[in-house]
This record gives sequence, structure tokens and C-alpha cells, in this order.
Amino acid sequence: MARSDRPSRRDALRTLAAGAIGTAAAGSWVDALSALAHTHARARTAGRGVQPAGWTPRVLSPRQHATVVTLAELIIPRTETPGAKAAGVDRFIDGVLHEANPAERDEFFRGLAWMDERSRILFGQDFVQADAAQHTALLTRLADEDNTTEEDHAGVEFFRAIKSMTVTGYYTTEVGLRQELGDDGRLAMVEFAGCDHPEHL
Amino acid sequence: MQVLRSPKVHPVLVIGSGASGGMAAWNLTRQGVDVLLLDAGERFDRSTFWTHVQPWEGQARRARGERPPPFFLDTAEQPYVTPPDRPFQLSRIWGHGGKTNVWGRVSLRYSEMDLKAADRDGWEIPWPISYSDIAPYYDRVEQLIGVCGGRDDSEVLPGSKYLLPAPAPRCGERLLQKGMAKLGIPVVAGRRANMTRSVGGFPACHYCGNCGAGCDTASFFCSADHLLPAALATKRLEIRSNAVVARILTGEDGRARGVQYFDRRTGAEREALAKAVVVGASCVDSTRILLNSRSSRHPNGLGNGSDVIGRYLCEQIRLNHYGYFPALEGTPTRNDRGIGGAHIYMPRFNHRAGRTRDYLRGFGAQFWNTGAGAFGAHAGSVRIPGFGAALKTAIKRRHPAWFEIHPFGEVMPYAHNRITVDESRVDRYGVPLPKIDYRIGENERKMTAHMADTVEEIVAAAGGVLVDYRRGQLDAMGSAIHEHGTCRMGADPKRSALNAFNQMHEVKNVFVVDGSAFPSASEKNPTLTILALAWRATDHLAEEIRRGSL
Repeated sequence: MARSDRPSRRDALRTLAAGAIGTAAAGSWVDALSALAHTHARARTAGRGVQPAGWTPRVLSPRQHATVVTLAELIIPRTETPGAKAAGVDRFIDGVLHEANPAERDEFFRGLAWMDERSRILFGQDFVQADAAQHTALLTRLADEDNTTEEDHAGVEFFRAIKSMTVTGYYTTEVGLRQELGDDGRLAMVEFAGCDHPEHL
Repeated sequence: MQVLRSPKVHPVLVIGSGASGGMAAWNLTRQGVDVLLLDAGERFDRSTFWTHVQPWEGQARRARGERPPPFFLDTAEQPYVTPPDRPFQLSRIWGHGGKTNVWGRVSLRYSEMDLKAADRDGWEIPWPISYSDIAPYYDRVEQLIGVCGGRDDSEVLPGSKYLLPAPAPRCGERLLQKGMAKLGIPVVAGRRANMTRSVGGFPACHYCGNCGAGCDTASFFCSADHLLPAALATKRLEIRSNAVVARILTGEDGRARGVQYFDRRTGAEREALAKAVVVGASCVDSTRILLNSRSSRHPNGLGNGSDVIGRYLCEQIRLNHYGYFPALEGTPTRNDRGIGGAHIYMPRFNHRAGRTRDYLRGFGAQFWNTGAGAFGAHAGSVRIPGFGAALKTAIKRRHPAWFEIHPFGEVMPYAHNRITVDESRVDRYGVPLPKIDYRIGENERKMTAHMADTVEEIVAAAGGVLVDYRRGQLDAMGSAIHEHGTCRMGADPKRSALNAFNQMHEVKNVFVVDGSAFPSASEKNPTLTILALAWRATDHLAEEIRRGSL
């Protein structure tokens, strides 16, 4: 007989179900952190959050933090609207990791270390020191879902995790939701207008 | 420890204050009956709900150490037991209003088809009531709590003249409707207990869409807002909070004489006496209480000579699929918050000519999270390949285009799907924990295939693209939070625990009024029916009290 899961995980799975990601059953650390990021991003669920001014990371070392900032900005860069860095996605990710269980956090840390290791092999320097073309070259390999090479396996998995956390974090900031996606942010209206496109009828 | 006994004998004691217990307390007190209501938790203060909190504000609040109200019961405080290979996701809320604080609000009338399904297919027992018995109560409940919906009326989903105006569909919902119309699959306005017009002095829904955080304006039905204050105003209701009921106590005549409960703050054991007991602690907790209420007269649990209590646990199976409509990509982002759920509903259709297959019962579908999300990009955004400016552009283009499909299917009542109490595992008060052993069978697997086919047909006809599609992957058992069947009503006392008025066949002064009383789960959301049945049952109880026949 096993007792049921502890509530934080159950809350995360509940959020997953509500968001219909449908990957909860996979049970890998990547899915666990993605789910936790969703929980973390929603105002309706309990959890620890990011800090405003005078912020220092709670779990990321300075070097890890620099790598996270670089990666997040590569995933969601500044365009006509601010990117992940300006939106404070590094803080969001640090907050999620702070809440994560140690095993999942360690997997994430191993992924960060892998990025530097791989970068040194390919480019002779740590990831943050590599140039834009080198960043793009490595991330292109890691973002390729058909890349099943043994040498990139850990990196592909890690990239899925940080991409998921970055996307979730960025689009739940005011910059991401309102400025970038164009949500009007209104939480009260008298009538709900709904679809008024004749072509959708 | 000394047990604190109160010499007072209450006319009626109600266990639980959610949809069923709240309704019982409200309906009895307004008819002049004094009620003692025990709830395992406290009142949630709705002024503290995070209803109107943007996601980034929520993160800032949490950084300051603030938390939203902790609705769901922590399994560290109250575990439950499942076999290691058969998990069951049980969601419990101990506190005034119970799960109605954050319920999904889908309010569908059961039809004669649902109530008499067993007469048609021969599987287990039919409900001991007909639609005509419960229809007047549906009318009253809808007027009391405010349910929005359309003018549709079918053999699956009976119509009602008491529905409030339904909110217009979102763009993606229009496309789904169009696709379903092409296929001849029925689709109607969603029926949901969001008050699109002011009801009972409560302000109308204002479409913030964050109902899952609890409603700080009480614009959807919550027992703690819409029933308990009115009952308290009669001066006939006493609410005792943090009272965790363990057992129903019986006298030498086998009738209930009160309850044993524990103070959740101090652990102190207490008793409260009553002439009648109404049980509304929600399916699993009510069943646990009944099974733990053993005595020489009730060796198998209270009123369980038939051995049906705890058996026939039936929930629902559900698929969660999502995708996007290319036709909506790149359109301007709209405010799609609405009533915090789907504005359309697909009623069951698999019984109709040309639609039947080799399994029993049926499924309907909901479509929540369709449209531009209010909580950031859709979860499917992370499945868009790539990174950088191209990813950012693609996420933005797809933001208004997402849809979701969630078919809910009936799980048959099986005797082996059981809640028992595990004498070797007890909670902090020494009370045996509920053990849930639940699995689906061949009928559900066949139904799942039909559900999956239907998803694929609708998406194709509507011009959608499924993302991360895993055909037939069911959500966790228990995740619909629609537990039923473990203390069922029925005409035959050998095969049921309750009569047609939710009254125990074997213990006439005990009524069980929550979802455990349902003989079958149907594919529908149960709360409207729980409210109607609890109203009807307590009308009967009040009448018996007036006649002195209890």
C-alpha cells in the first residue's frame, strides 16, 4: 500500500490536467519542472515566488545564473518587445528551482554544467562566453527533436526543461502577457462579447 | 482523554457544508428545523481570495510571503490509501462550502436516460426516482443558484426555462461548433453556475475568468456564500467548525443518536447528539464515516447489512487534448476569459441511430481553455519547435488559436471498485483511513476508443491541428473529482443502502445526501443533481419531523 503523492506534486499535476499538457504520466524530471513552472506561474496556486528589487538568486550560483540569463534570452529574445532577460525570467526560474525537489534541481544543474562542457569542446569556451553564431549553432542542435545522438542526449533533455520554464515564465509576466501577446488584462466587463466574426459562424 | 459530551440533543445534525450539507442545512432551517452543522474545516474568507490577481502580481505576493487560501486538504494531514499499482487522485476540501469554493460549475440536468440506464442495459440497479421526481427540484435549484445556459432541450439534456443568458462563444468555440454541425454531433451552450445576471442580491459575473481561485464577489454558487449565511439568518443553525466527524453513534435500537468527532485544532474527542443525522461529507469521506461506524447492531458499518456501502465506486474517465486552428493564427488577441470555462458543451450522442457501438453508457465533452489564455501562453506553446525570434513570433500568432477538447465518459458501477477502511492505518485521531481500490474495465476501454475517434473527427471537421496528441491517454483516475456510488439509493434494500429519499433502509434517521448516493455516475457533472437531491431528501426529512414519524 502506498500513500498518495504529496500535495505539491499533486497540485502541479492538477495544473497540468487543467492545462492539458498531457505529459504528466511521463514522469521525467523535465516534465516535473515544466509542471512546477506552470504551478508557479499561476496566481491561484500556492508556492514561493520571485523577489522584486535588490534580488539575488536563491539557488543559482553566479555562474549558473549567468548561463540561465543567456539561455533564456536566446529562447525568448528582445524584439520589438523586451525579451526574457528584461522580463525577469531568470528570477522566475530561480524561484521554480527553489521550490523543486533536490533531485530535479540537481538534474537541472547537471544540464547547465553540460552546456559549458559541450561549449568548451565545440568552441573552446564556456557557453556564456561563446559568440552569437556559436550559441545559435549549439541551440539549433539541442532544439532539434530528431536529434537522438548520444552525445547531445543530456543537452536535448535540458533544453526542453529550460525552454519550458522560460516560455511559462515569460508569458506570465506583464511584459509577456500584455505587451507581447496583446492581452488587455481586463478582469471585469459587463457583457462578454465573444466571437463577432461572420466567417467563424 | 475525557470525551466532552453535550447533553443537548439537536433535532438534526448535518455533517459537511458543501453542496449537499449546505443545502440540507439551508432547507431544514428555513422550514423551522434547528440544525447543528459540523464541518471539518473553517470558513474561507472570500475577501482574501486571489480572484483578481494577475499572474505577475501573484508572484510578487508570494515573494512577500503571502499565499492564497489553501483550499485543498493536505495528504500529510489526512492520507488515504491506494494499492501501489492503482493510484487514485482524491481532491478534498475541508472548510465551509467544501469543493463549491472552487468547483467547475458545470450544471447539467440528468435525464430519464441517465436515471433508467440500468433498466435498459441491465447493468446494476436503476435510480429509484424518475426525471419527473427531480425536475421540480432542478427548477428550484437553478433559480436559487443562478445557472446560465441555452434554450436547448433533448433526451440527453432536459431543457429549462430558468437559465440565465449564456455568454457568447469564443472564436475557437465557434469553429468547433461549425465542425460538429458538419458531423451531426450535437453542441449546445454550456450550462454553468456563473450568474450572468445578479441573483439573490449577489453581483453578476464580470468575466474575469479566474473562478478556480474562488470568487471574491460570490458571483458563482458557493454553499458558504449562497446557503450558509441565509441559514444562519434564521437563527436555527449552529455551525461548529474544525469538527472532524469520525463515527455516527447508534443506540441499542440501532438508530443513530449522534456523532463522535475530533477537534481539528486540539485533537480533543467530542460527541454531539441528535435525533436525525444528515451525511454530506462528500462521497469518500461520508463512506469512510459510515464504514467506521461499526456497532453490534451494525457490524459491517452503519446501515450496511447489504454490504453495498463502499462498493460500486464510479467516477469518470477523461481525455485532455489540445491543438490550434490555423484559421485563427495571427488574429488579434482577444480577452477570452469569459466565465472561466467552456461556453459550449457537447451532450452525449452515442445512443443515437448510426452512432452506437459495442459498449454501454456514454460520454459528453467540454472544451475549456479554448481561446487566448489569461495565464500566459498556452501550455502547448512549449511544443512549438525552435527558439529565438521565430519561436516568439509563432507563440504570439498561435495565442488566440488554441482549443481544447475534454470528453468525459461514464465509468460503470463495479462491485470490486471499493472504498474500505484500513484498520491497520489510522489518522492522527486514531480513525481508520479510507482505502480506495479503483480500476476501469473493458467497457471503459471501448468507450475511450470512441471518445478518441470523436476527438479526431471533430478536430478534422473544424479545421484544427492536434498538438502533442496521445490517442486515448486518460487523465489520472479520480481527476474528474466526481466520485459516486458507494452508498447508493435503490428500490431493493438488498442491493442498495438508501431509499428514494436518500434515507437509509436500515437506519431511518440517517440520510446520505452527497454524490455517494448516486447509483451511477453518468457522463455529467453531478453538483446540480446533488443540490436537487439534497433539497428533495430534506423536504422529506422535514415532513417526517413534522409528522413525528421519525
